[in-house]
Amino acid sequence: MGEIMTVGQVVGGKFGDIVIRQKSGTNIEIGDLIVSEENGSYLILQVFALEYGSQIQDRMQQMMSGVNLEQGVADAQFYEPDFVNYVLARIKPLARIYREDGDVKIPKSLPSFFNKLRLISHDDLKFLQKEDDQIFVGHIRSGSKVIKEAEVWLPAQDVFSHHVLIPATTGRGKSNLIKTVLWHALNTNKVGALVLDAHDEYFGRTAVGLKDHPNARDNLVYYTPTSPPPGANTLTINLQAIKPHHFDGIVDLSDAQSQAIRTAFRNHRHEWIANLMLTDVATMDMTGQRDSTTSTMMVIQRKLRLILDLERDEDGHIFSRHAVFDSTTSGLGTVDDIVRHIEQGKIVVLDTSRLGGEAELLVGNIIATKLLDNYKKAKATGELNGLPVATIVIEEAPRVIGEDILASKNDNIYSTIAKEGRKFKLGLTAITQLSSVIPKTILANMNTKIILGNEMKQEREAIIASASQDLSEDDKNIASLDKGEAIITSIFVPFAMPIKIPLFEDIVKNQKDSARPEKIKVF
Amino acid sequence: MRFAHLSDIHLGFQKQEKLQKIEQDTFERAVSKCIDCGVDFVLIPGDLFHVNIPEMRVQKFAFAGFRRLYEAKIPVYVVYGSHDFSPVSNSVIDLLAEIGYITKVTHATSNDNGTISLDFLTDAKTGVKITGLTGLKVGRDRDWYEVLDRQSLESEPGFKIFLFHGGIADMKNNKIMDGDHMPISFLPKGFSYYAGGHMHVYNYKEFADYPHVVYPGTLFAGHAADLEENAKGCSRGLVLVDFEEKVNKVEFVPMDNSLYGIIEIDANNCKSESVNMELQKEIDRIDPAEKIVIVKIRGELMSGKTSDVDITLASESLSKSGAISVNISKNQLTSREYTITDAKGKNKDEIETNMLKENIGQLRNLSQKILVGDQGISLAKQLFHVLGQNQLDNEKKEEYSKRITDGALAMLGVKMDDS
Repeated sequence: MGEIMTVGQVVGGKFGDIVIRQKSGTNIEIGDLIVSEENGSYLILQVFALEYGSQIQDRMQQMMSGVNLEQGVADAQFYEPDFVNYVLARIKPLARIYREDGDVKIPKSLPSFFNKLRLISHDDLKFLQKEDDQIFVGHIRSGSKVIKEAEVWLPAQDVFSHHVLIPATTGRGKSNLIKTVLWHALNTNKVGALVLDAHDEYFGRTAVGLKDHPNARDNLVYYTPTSPPPGANTLTINLQAIKPHHFDGIVDLSDAQSQAIRTAFRNHRHEWIANLMLTDVATMDMTGQRDSTTSTMMVIQRKLRLILDLERDEDGHIFSRHAVFDSTTSGLGTVDDIVRHIEQGKIVVLDTSRLGGEAELLVGNIIATKLLDNYKKAKATGELNGLPVATIVIEEAPRVIGEDILASKNDNIYSTIAKEGRKFKLGLTAITQLSSVIPKTILANMNTKIILGNEMKQEREAIIASASQDLSEDDKNIASLDKGEAIITSIFVPFAMPIKIPLFEDIVKNQKDSARPEKIKVF
Repeated sequence: MRFAHLSDIHLGFQKQEKLQKIEQDTFERAVSKCIDCGVDFVLIPGDLFHVNIPEMRVQKFAFAGFRRLYEAKIPVYVVYGSHDFSPVSNSVIDLLAEIGYITKVTHATSNDNGTISLDFLTDAKTGVKITGLTGLKVGRDRDWYEVLDRQSLESEPGFKIFLFHGGIADMKNNKIMDGDHMPISFLPKGFSYYAGGHMHVYNYKEFADYPHVVYPGTLFAGHAADLEENAKGCSRGLVLVDFEEKVNKVEFVPMDNSLYGIIEIDANNCKSESVNMELQKEIDRIDPAEKIVIVKIRGELMSGKTSDVDITLASESLSKSGAISVNISKNQLTSREYTITDAKGKNKDEIETNMLKENIGQLRNLSQKILVGDQGISLAKQLFHVLGQNQLDNEKKEEYSKRITDGALAMLGVKMDDS
């Protein structure tokens, strides 16, 4: 990579679909970035389709093939084959860079006709300068070639407050990407994050992970329900922290059930869940309404028991089998502690691997609600500038911002943040395989999309339709993205950037401090 | 077999004579209790003293107390707390240890691989193995816990006790407990008993890998908020633990220290005059004789300044009626009429100027023009400069105080005897 070498020449086409002839001996790939030198500037273009071209008519070529295949003439060849047959690449302009000031503009004109083009080199990407408080996501990729010198850094403050969408199918490198992004967020205290880690894979309990970051001690907080490793916190949330509105948009409750839990809260305040679970429904005296009220209560008890995994011991105490929820005095400060950590610009990873889907969302909801409240208050008092931007990382995002969920249930905190969080420096980092089921209004608000490989056409179409740059010709490009390859489309990058995300393990390996540990004095 | 567990006694914290007497009396009664209950040893995990070298009066009665335990052949095992800690063993704790009245249990070795190993000491009479770590301010002892050689501690057989001084996040029992708490996972697992200090209220919890994690809390008061807690009914005392091969019983033994009275005024949306009337009404209602009286005024006044709420009068009135001590807090009292608005700037000077500009408009009713408008801002900044000067090398405290006061008064154009 990096050699200045002509790979083709502009021979036709129109704006957005320029045709070039590939020079023989070179190998242009789909996704390759190509440069056209212009007067005082250069154009970066990208290959989106390849096809054959020939000076010989099709019928003649077919006859030649017949001679080779049917008559066994071994040496039948075209005269001057490189001249006669060739590859045509269709390319689209991505950006025009002005040499004088390095200004990057959206191109509005064609490259000069017959101009010779070359592959991009890292010198052409010097405008990708890292500035303060940015997040590394990968290296620029031209086709399958990685330009290691061209690193892509995103402005953390803007990107996270304007929401991030990571659409991808299984096995395309989502976890690696999330770990890479969070790893760089740990460099400073400028980004707070709540990470609902459904597979307990980010902290690195048994393998390399975020815990290996040099700043992990100060900027990473890990909560897990059982046997926390030294320094980690026990994820215990007191049932008192759960309010009826936390179930909104998460759990399917009928109007009667919703009313009943609100009544329980009004009557018993913080002890409402414990009281509700300890109520002997069979002996309830509900004159006149006995049947319907009893069945409502029984359904609520069953739902709470299933969602929160609650049981009752012989002393009448309510506890959860996965130890996340507690009805005694444990976990009273957990939510406040987590919110405080996020407000201090720390990454808080919650191991929710033992929780069911609804319980996981409920835990996230409790914390996110408190976080949004605090950020709103900070805005009202003029203190928002002192807080870091915060993001909530959530997998399988359609569980909370899917079209069917939002249509059938009340808004939940995640959809509220998706709609209005930006004003309060609070954003979502939503990971999904199914972008198509997220409403367009929410998709359009997700101003940064890091698109990984996706073989489902319907999903690609949804992503392309809501991209911040024109990706209408990139359908096949997205389909052919290999593991770790991605396209970033964002209002904070000058063009849709093809990138290769490095292996997280390699990042950790490169960062490892080889210095000998110092002796610590104890008094 | 039995041991006692006390912590956060903060000897030397009290400044008022009557409260000092209660502090001393409570300590002496706790010592007597340990002797009377026939404990085999006493554990004190930190903040025995409020500072590393308290005044002679405090040292005197502390030494007398520990001599009684020594003469009763009751060993006392301690670790430094964040208050009485000294990195160069320059603490009264070290004096007491030197003459053999108490024993410091932290015996650490810093290893070449960056880890810390702790040695156990064994109580001669009971065979109990004891170790522990000093507590430092703002959780700086975390560095030690992070590199602690847990394996050697956890594999040690027998009845073993770990002394520590620091808040445990998992032990928080109410939402408003703030401060720097470490997760329980920092403690080595599998000890028979975890003797905690630092949290001032009795707290006892059992965890799967950490049976019997206990904080006895303070005996009387180690910071101002403790008196308020006492007035609200918080029980103070020590913990007695019966054990054989394992802990059989953990008992909190309450110890009275004083009678209390409390007045709480919600000043939210009230005028300062109404708050004064309400305060007087409450003072008339309670009998403050021989009581420590806590007065707490909070909320946002709808009019009047916070200084219009007359606490001097309240204090005098309660004292005249025989209160042992009057502790009035209006830290949480603000006024809608006068609140400080934050301002931003590129540097300290600009922030100061902008903040003064934002807020000085609220002083429009002042008659002296030098205190308002641009003149006021200029004067305030000059005052900041004068009051912000550091003590010079070789300058005595009194000289420093006089130099700053004279400078500030000269700046304001007033003399010391101006009323």
